[in-house]
Amino acid sequence: MGKPVVEMRHIYKRFAKTLANDDVSLTVNPGEVVALLGENGAGKSTIMKILYGLYHKTSGEILIDGKERDIQTPRDAMDLGICMVQQHFTLIPAQTVTENIILGTYKGRIDYDKEQHEVEELSKKYGFEVPAGAYVKDLPVGIQQKVEILKALHRHARILIMDEPTAVLIPQEIDVLMHFIRDFAAEGNSVIFITHKMKEVMDAADRIIIMRNGAVSGCVNKKDVTATQLARLMIGHDLEVLKKPESNFESQKKRVEVDHVSIELKDGRKLLNDLNFSIHAGEILGIAGVSGNGQEELCKALYGALHITQGSVKLDGEDITHKSVKEHIALGIGYCPADRYRYGMVSDMSLTQNMMLKSSYLGRWDKHGFINWSDVSNYTEDVIKKYNVKAPDTSVTIGSLSGGNQQKLVVGREVDMGTNVVIFNQPTRGLDLGAITNVQKVVLQERAAGKSVLLISTELSELFDLSDRIAVMYQGSFVGIFKPEDLNVEKIGLLMAGVSLNEAEGGSDGKE
Amino acid sequence: MEKSKDSELLQTFLWTGGALILGLIVSFAFLPAVGEDPFAALQLMVGMTFSDSFNMGKILVKAAPLILCSLAFASTFKANLFNIGAQGQFYMGCICATAISLGCQDVLPPFLTILLAALGAMAGGAAIGYIIALLKTKFNANEFLVSMMSTYVVLYIMKLLLRTSLQESKHEYVQSDMLSNAVWLPKFLPGTTASIGILISVAAAIAIYFILKKTTLGYRIQVTGLNMDAARLSGIDPKKQFLIAFAISGCLAGLAGFIEVNGMQHMLLDGLDSDIGSYGIGIAIMANSNPIGVIFCSLLFGALQVGGTILSHETTAPASIIDLMLGIVMLFVLFSFFFRNRHEIKKTIKKQIALEGKK
Repeated sequence: MGKPVVEMRHIYKRFAKTLANDDVSLTVNPGEVVALLGENGAGKSTIMKILYGLYHKTSGEILIDGKERDIQTPRDAMDLGICMVQQHFTLIPAQTVTENIILGTYKGRIDYDKEQHEVEELSKKYGFEVPAGAYVKDLPVGIQQKVEILKALHRHARILIMDEPTAVLIPQEIDVLMHFIRDFAAEGNSVIFITHKMKEVMDAADRIIIMRNGAVSGCVNKKDVTATQLARLMIGHDLEVLKKPESNFESQKKRVEVDHVSIELKDGRKLLNDLNFSIHAGEILGIAGVSGNGQEELCKALYGALHITQGSVKLDGEDITHKSVKEHIALGIGYCPADRYRYGMVSDMSLTQNMMLKSSYLGRWDKHGFINWSDVSNYTEDVIKKYNVKAPDTSVTIGSLSGGNQQKLVVGREVDMGTNVVIFNQPTRGLDLGAITNVQKVVLQERAAGKSVLLISTELSELFDLSDRIAVMYQGSFVGIFKPEDLNVEKIGLLMAGVSLNEAEGGSDGKE
Repeated sequence: MEKSKDSELLQTFLWTGGALILGLIVSFAFLPAVGEDPFAALQLMVGMTFSDSFNMGKILVKAAPLILCSLAFASTFKANLFNIGAQGQFYMGCICATAISLGCQDVLPPFLTILLAALGAMAGGAAIGYIIALLKTKFNANEFLVSMMSTYVVLYIMKLLLRTSLQESKHEYVQSDMLSNAVWLPKFLPGTTASIGILISVAAAIAIYFILKKTTLGYRIQVTGLNMDAARLSGIDPKKQFLIAFAISGCLAGLAGFIEVNGMQHMLLDGLDSDIGSYGIGIAIMANSNPIGVIFCSLLFGALQVGGTILSHETTAPASIIDLMLGIVMLFVLFSFFFRNRHEIKKTIKKQIALEGKK
């Protein structure tokens, strides 16, 4: 290989309380796809944001094409041919694709026709089907990401950084993206993509740089390494393999029965459309689907937080359709919301106070309204021990803990509150591998304890590993409910994208 | 853990104390501008305030309604609501206390009359607060504006009553008849004007502290204030908490009205304590809405008011010097929060660096 196009030497970056990058050195060669692998908080995004000029290094040096450069702003980076596609897109919804792409590159009068033509050409060249004249707000996320990539290509990027590019995509879109990455690199450009998913790394990368705790813990060529070895480099020890014990849930009673449930808004839009399912005792029902297809609404409806307009929900034969959240809690339903920060905890309150959250009407910790805080505090300590939460003591605010530890506490509380049913909405999102295994084990424990579990996840592997049955959700209704062994990733991907069952089966049969 | 709490209390004390002293120094630095010697003024102020039990009693008299009015702001603030209308709820308390005292003093035994007046004042204030919260929960009206304007409504009701049914029998001044001696709140320190009002206020502050800290009621109000979405998904109805918080708030301000009428003025006057609501807000912010902190801040405000009055009586300094002093001291305390925060962040960074160095 020739001279490295990017060389970062001994980079340190310190934020107020933490050392985010601790002596990081890495190189990227022309025509190479480098995967930056690591758990959340390993410092992957930080080092890339330094390269892109969004953060400033505390010390160290950056060489581009062998010359030392001082990258102060993203504009400096772009001038050097470095572009970054952020995890959260930086598009303006109210502008068209073309307007977004030329933003910040223009002076004077804009020749829209010429630019639109150029964008179309560029899009065709890489096989992106992006309508250049459409407004960004009307485009699905998968296309929006392509717009972000086009933005980089339009600026003649030769070093493309992508931060968790697959987080929002369905499997088929991921394939397209990986294909693009290979094509783009084949032209002599370099791609660095940040990820914590092993599979993508094995698919697309030439070389893998693994980070742990802010430092580089390994740098390997893809052909020399296996997924298990990668996991060890990433978390520092072997990953536990989860085993789902067999369950004969079908012989158990149906605990939750959802009968033709719909939620219709006043303008006629349906958030949930005629849902029909039941969850047995000791069963995990998984829900697959691209985010925003009614999963959140389903959870809230089952928890009494959203008014059901048609149909009924029964728990052990009792109609609970129109009961309040308070009553749902008292009936033994636990709910781990996807956005725990907003719905599941009070970040400025102590751990103890947060453990009290769902029980303020239950009389569990209070006598006639007077709370016995030392009991709650003891209970909190038990949960901390049981779920291996890293916290100095119970009086610190929950906001001061890391995301994984917050989630362990919320999960611990909800599992305890939900004596009959536990709803998990994306329980492992944003957690690192160790914490993920931890939470998944809890989900299986709850199943073994005979509870009914509803598990919503965008991680297909998680659904396949844990669920007894998987329902696929699209635009508020169920495309179908399947046994995991009757599904494969490709079929579920098509179903998630709204392709009907027959077509999906035809598609997968044709290929097999 | 206990130890760290103690040192935190000490820190708060040092920072706030430092800010107070600095604020006083700066406000005294204005005195040469009006031709007064600041050192002599200080000596005069401190000397006269604290050498005389009458003046010291006056501090308690001033502090009592201040405590309650700032508790009124603090208790809604915990639910992330702004009750700017404590002034109006205070007036409603004054009206109810006066009307009940005058109406019952000749028919009922004095103790019962006082009790009824207190309850009536609290109910009157609470009703105003409840209406404000009701407008917010039913029509999504902005409680800040509604509570602010409600003050004027109550003020003009009071003015109207003072010209009609509540006006003194002589119909000369815009004020009510004097309450009979029997229904005055008993004095508890001989040789001063301090009534048991201050004891009631302190008890109210402790009660609020206890409610917030130890009861599910207070817990739910605070959860609602800190994260309304999480409250809703925990079975806590935010609207209900708004109504409760505002009713408590109005109740406290109403009680302040009762203490002022039955404990101090012994009649209802037009334009009575027209700044007490805004002082209450200032004190609550200064005390960081901590009910115990409110007691001390109110005492300080009371002392400054008494000292300032002495100063304006004994020297050529204008009476507005009191407001100047209060304003500057308050500003400095608020600054101290900011600087303390910055200082603590810097300290943690240094600690962290030292820790890593050891590794």
